[in-house]
Amino acid sequence: MPADQDKVRALIGDFLVRANKGADGWTDQSPLWGDGLGLDSLEAAELSAMLEDEFGTDPFSAGDEFPETVSDILAFYAAVKTE
Amino acid sequence: MDTETDYEPAAHYDRVHEAWLLIMGEEFHYGFFATPDTPLGDATDALTKHMLERARIAAGDRVLDVGCGTGHQSCKLAEERGCSVLGITTSASGVAAASALAAARGLGDVRFEQRDGTANGLGAASFDVTWVLESSHLMRDRTALLSECARVLAPGGRLTLCDIVRRREIPFPEVRARRQDFATLRAAFGDAHMEPLDAYTATLADLGMTVTDSTDISMETLPTFAAWRANIEANRAAVAELLGTQGMEDFEAATHILEAFWQDGTLGYGILAAVKNP
Repeated sequence: MPADQDKVRALIGDFLVRANKGADGWTDQSPLWGDGLGLDSLEAAELSAMLEDEFGTDPFSAGDEFPETVSDILAFYAAVKTE
Repeated sequence: MDTETDYEPAAHYDRVHEAWLLIMGEEFHYGFFATPDTPLGDATDALTKHMLERARIAAGDRVLDVGCGTGHQSCKLAEERGCSVLGITTSASGVAAASALAAARGLGDVRFEQRDGTANGLGAASFDVTWVLESSHLMRDRTALLSECARVLAPGGRLTLCDIVRRREIPFPEVRARRQDFATLRAAFGDAHMEPLDAYTATLADLGMTVTDSTDISMETLPTFAAWRANIEANRAAVAELLGTQGMEDFEAATHILEAFWQDGTLGYGILAAVKNP
C-alpha cells in the first residue's frame, strides 16, 4: 500500500512530539541527525518501527544507507508508490 | 518506548538521586569486586582506590571532579588527599546537595558549581587532575568532554576516568529488535551513550595526551547488578515511594538487561589514565 506523503509527515510529526525533538520546528529539509533533529540510534529504531507498522516498510531497514533528512524518508515512500 | 519522559541528565539526576543512594550506596557508582561476595560498600571503595592509584593526587593538587553528582567523591578526595576540589555538575540540586555535604563536613577547600563538562568555561591549565568517575556516558559529545578535560589541565596534569563502555558495535537491526530493552535502560539510567574504551584513548591521543593505562574491568564490575538488586529488595517500600512502582521495576529490569549485556560482551566497564604532555 503506497504511503501518502502527508501521512508520512504526520507520523514523523507525532513521533517528534513524543520524542521531544524538533521543538523549534522542522521541515522536509531538516537533517535527522546531529545538529538537525538530533536523533540517536534508539530514537531512529523507534521511528523505523513506527513507519513500518504504519506503512509496511521503512527506509531505515530497507536500504544500505540510512535517510539523512526528512525529505529522504518522503522520497523513499514516493519511490515505493511509483514502483 | 516512553519518549515523553524528560531524560535530560540534570532532570534525571534530580529525580532519582535519593533512590539511587538506597540502591547504590553512598559512593553512588559501580563496584570493583574482588569476589562476587564482596560487600557493595567495599567494592565501590575498591573502584575509587583504582581511580586514586591512577590519579596520583597529592596534597595541594587542584582537582576538577567532572560530573560530581552529590559531591561524595569530591569531599572524600579533599579529606583523604588534602587537595582542593571543584566539583561540577549540570544538576542544580546536585550542587546544592554537594555544597551542603561539604559544609557539614567542614570542608573549606571543596566547591561545587553548576557547569557543563563539555563546555566548562574554566581557565586553561588551571587543574592538576581531572577526575571523571562514571559521568562521561551521560555527555553525548565525548570529544568535547575530553577536550575540555585536557584543556584545563596544567602540563603534566593527569586525567583519570572510569565508566560503562561499549565492547562491540551494535548493528541497527539489533538496536531495533531490542529497542524495548534499550528504552528500559534509558528510563532507569537516563540518556546514556556508551563508547568503546579504545575510542576514549584514541581521542585523548589526538588531544596530545599520553594514555598511561587503559583497562577493561567488566568482569570485576559484573557483581554490581546483583548487589543493587539486593539493596532494592532490602529497601523495596522506600525505593518504590521514591521511584514509583513502575520506576523501581524498570530499574530492576535494567539491572538484568545490563547484566546480560555484560555477560554477552556488548557492554562493560573501563578505567583509564592519561597525562597531559608538557
